[in-house]
Amino acid sequence: MNLTALKKINHGYLFIAPFVIGFLIFGLYPVVNTLALSFTDMTLMTREGNWNDFQNFTRLFADDVFMTAVGNTWLLWILNFIPQIGIAMLLSMWFTNARLRLKGVGLWRAMFFLPNLLMPAAVAALFFSLFSYYGPVNQVMVRFDLLPEAVHFLQKIPVARALVIFIQWWMWFGQTTIILMAGMTSIPVHLYEAAMVDGATSMQMFTRITLPLLKPILVYIFVTSLVGGMQMFDIPYLLTDGRGSPSQSILTNTILMYTKFASSKGHIGAASAVGVMVFLMTSVCAMAIMYFLRDKDKDK
Amino acid sequence: MFKDYRFTTNLLRVFVYTVLVILLIVTIVPIWLVVVNASRSTLEIQQGLSFLPSTHTLDNYGTLLGRGLDLGRGFMNSLFVAFCSTLVTVYFSFLTAYGLVVYKFKGKKLFYNLIVALVLIPLQFSIIGFYQYMSKIGLTDSYASLILPLIANAGAVFFAKQYLEAVVVQDLVDAARIDGASEFATFHRIILPLAVPGLMTTGIFAFVAAWNNFFNAFILITTRDKYTLPMLVQTLRGDVYRTEYGAIYLGLAVTVVPIIIIYAIFSRYIVSGIAMGALKE
Amino acid sequence: MRKSLFSIVSLLIIASMLLAGCTPATTAAPAATAAPAEATQAPAASTEKTILNVWSFTNEINTMAIAFEAIHPEVDVVYTMIPMTNGEYQTKLKAVIGTADTPDVIALEAAFVKEYVEADFLADLADLLPAAQAAQTYQFVIDVGTDNGVTKAFAYQATPGAVFYRRSLATEYFGTDDPAEIQAMMSDLDGFIEMAATIKEKSGGDTYMVASSGDFQNPFFANRAQPWVVDGALVVDPMVEEYINIAKLFRDNGYEAQAQQWQEGWFAGMNDSLVDADGNAKQVFCYFLPTWGLPYVLAPNSKSADGAHDTGGDWGVVTGPLPYQWGGTWLGAMAESPNLELAKEFIRFATLDEQNLTNWATGVYTNAYLAAIDPNVAPDQAQAAGDFVSSKVVVNKIVASFDNSELSAFLAGQNSYAGFAEAAPSVNAKLMTGSDDAIQRALNDPINQYLNGEISMDDLWSIWKDALRTEFPDLVIK
Repeated sequence: MNLTALKKINHGYLFIAPFVIGFLIFGLYPVVNTLALSFTDMTLMTREGNWNDFQNFTRLFADDVFMTAVGNTWLLWILNFIPQIGIAMLLSMWFTNARLRLKGVGLWRAMFFLPNLLMPAAVAALFFSLFSYYGPVNQVMVRFDLLPEAVHFLQKIPVARALVIFIQWWMWFGQTTIILMAGMTSIPVHLYEAAMVDGATSMQMFTRITLPLLKPILVYIFVTSLVGGMQMFDIPYLLTDGRGSPSQSILTNTILMYTKFASSKGHIGAASAVGVMVFLMTSVCAMAIMYFLRDKDKDK
Repeated sequence: MFKDYRFTTNLLRVFVYTVLVILLIVTIVPIWLVVVNASRSTLEIQQGLSFLPSTHTLDNYGTLLGRGLDLGRGFMNSLFVAFCSTLVTVYFSFLTAYGLVVYKFKGKKLFYNLIVALVLIPLQFSIIGFYQYMSKIGLTDSYASLILPLIANAGAVFFAKQYLEAVVVQDLVDAARIDGASEFATFHRIILPLAVPGLMTTGIFAFVAAWNNFFNAFILITTRDKYTLPMLVQTLRGDVYRTEYGAIYLGLAVTVVPIIIIYAIFSRYIVSGIAMGALKE
Repeated sequence: MRKSLFSIVSLLIIASMLLAGCTPATTAAPAATAAPAEATQAPAASTEKTILNVWSFTNEINTMAIAFEAIHPEVDVVYTMIPMTNGEYQTKLKAVIGTADTPDVIALEAAFVKEYVEADFLADLADLLPAAQAAQTYQFVIDVGTDNGVTKAFAYQATPGAVFYRRSLATEYFGTDDPAEIQAMMSDLDGFIEMAATIKEKSGGDTYMVASSGDFQNPFFANRAQPWVVDGALVVDPMVEEYINIAKLFRDNGYEAQAQQWQEGWFAGMNDSLVDADGNAKQVFCYFLPTWGLPYVLAPNSKSADGAHDTGGDWGVVTGPLPYQWGGTWLGAMAESPNLELAKEFIRFATLDEQNLTNWATGVYTNAYLAAIDPNVAPDQAQAAGDFVSSKVVVNKIVASFDNSELSAFLAGQNSYAGFAEAAPSVNAKLMTGSDDAIQRALNDPINQYLNGEISMDDLWSIWKDALRTEFPDLVIK
């Protein structure tokens, strides 16, 4: 018994060793570097940096832009995540449903995943043309008297936000569906068979079997989507002028970070400070998610 | 009673298919526009959007060739990078995750927290520091700097761990041990086959990410011969004073096709988990 | 069952491949995967020629690189093009500085050339100033490449701006299409605005003076009296306020088509196919474009894609109300370059050499010409005639050769080269600084919001200043 216990310990370390080595060689430096830079006034064009204590951070809170960015990021993430997880859940239930026996499940799923394969730059350019002043959306709406005259859609705050939310949803709901299905199909069929014998309704099977067994996957989806959402960049960056226009309504955390990074001097210290703040904020929320979705049985 | 059941099932089906078709239209329209643009001239694209294909596909292809872009080589480079990235990501993430799920060891909790923390850190703009570090250890302009860091791909480990928690049955591991299988053999022969849907899911996402990664690749790779397909397509966009949009869209479309094929081949294993579930018993 | 067996087998194959190939590599991995990459590098390193690394963001300068090899056979110019569409080029430059991979010569676009000229990474090119004097390089081109009296970058092209107008519309609304008369009418801002009012009135609102008020932002900003930043503090020149007022006037009075630069409405106006959202045909009288705008933007877009509209031959060009310049590519040598003298020689050849600039501007560098030097050249690598070069000597020498060119036919016989030659000396770039691009870009959104009537003038300034605080933490903003 002692011997097997020892063996187990050794093997645990062996299994994680490659990761640790890989991390030490490749991953550690960027992390430490980012953290260290956030306490300096380093710029890329001077290559000189001095410790400036917490000035990068106090500045962030002194001007409203950071809070605007945080607020925008949350808004844009929550409003695309809710329909994303909702539709993905519905789709994966339908696709795995024995009663419906849908045809061409693989094909449907592949089609819904397609938007994820396109480069964000191309996606943003297309939506930009669709909604531009002389674009098709204006033409259709004016010709059918839905609008009195053409509108600068992308200069309207609600439209710009709605587009970002829609594109994000559009790009990611297929992937979320795939992950959910991977989780659902791993649930042993016999559990459902037993439940059916006991006369359970499909709703009961969903809440009593599917949801609890899906928890680890749900944690993964929530956390990674949160991280992705808090670091949302490509689409809001590419859709308008790369500065979160109109009126900073789609200025996200990462766009703010990029603005500092790509400014003429390259304020990499100040940019890193935004990164550190985003990390702290995401961590708190991720811990909350993991706490609420923890496996309660295990704790007993 | 039975008839009633069939009736409601069919009604439900009609509803479900209707929703699916609506979703399909929403997903397909922008993709269709990309395909259409690939067949249109730069002038046509600049002068507005169209839902109907045009006749300039060959001209656009000519432009691609005229720039001296070695698409074949780029394709092979992309394939090499994406394939290695996928293997490294899938194998090492499941290896690490298995160690976390099955074994008890000191510092395990700390290690798991480290992985979660790594998932959360925004590192998008650490690329400059990373480049200078790679330069110091002599790995710039080498695919190694793109592939090897994936050994420690925290996001993939996080997924693999969550996934294995749902799949691995301790009894199965114990049974294998009783049969005298070594720890690594248990992982390779029992667990990996069980986790095919998870492996494939990770693999597809890793492949797509590696295939489409051109920003970091541009920073780390300098030699033209080592450019990947998306990098070559991006160089087309570089001509700021006269951009060939038609050729760019054609390049985009061409770039997407291989991933679709890869996806088509491997995605069916995502579902085969149902069969796996049956096998378990 | 068969399916699952198959997947197990295939997985085992993959797993064993991994075990054979990758697992031992965890510790010695860098060497293992780096091997193929090094193999491809080896033959290049074995040549005896001196290697000069040139980085740019377009293929254009590759033509010069090949021409350079013809007169310097002992040199192998390794040309690397990195796009700047998503900032790849700028990021990569910032990353390699200070590392062993630094290139020798870098190309710098107008939007960020000043950042580098103001920093310490570029070598002092004072050695080349005599050559610049001999070539009579336009002063503003040198000024852009100069910081605190030290010149660090030169350009092969000069990019003065002009105003291109539709001759048929000029005849219709002003009774003449003669460039001299049109220029007299729009020689100052009041005249320009008056023309806009006349066009609006006589066309019943169906013809706009410009496609976008953004078109004349550049000329206004180029004619400020003070730079954006003086002694570390933000300065708003009266010219900026005047621009915003005139843009608002154009919007409120319907003098502009409300198109956006580089978008379909802007292009459609060039070939007379502009149609408003309700389906009514609209026309645009003039466009503000620089030298390269004629061959790359206006001429190709003068035909609508469906072939139904063609405005070729219906254009005239004048200097317009305000002199300005737009775009351009400069070349600098990295101070750390191990081949600094050679790098300087390349820059001299590319930007100041009379013969090279003449060849460049007159279409000598055809693909066949380049292929004779380097057989591996890409099929469409070439330089068509017509680029406006930075040397006054060369410009004066070749200007007459454009009297009967394709581009002058496009302008109904007018020699655009001569027009640019006239405009170039009055361009002033002394005020340009590395922060300009970011400061001006930050202004666009507040201006749009103001023009749309969403915000007041006061909000415009405060939103802009907030945005600048984010980007320039050290800038003093009142």
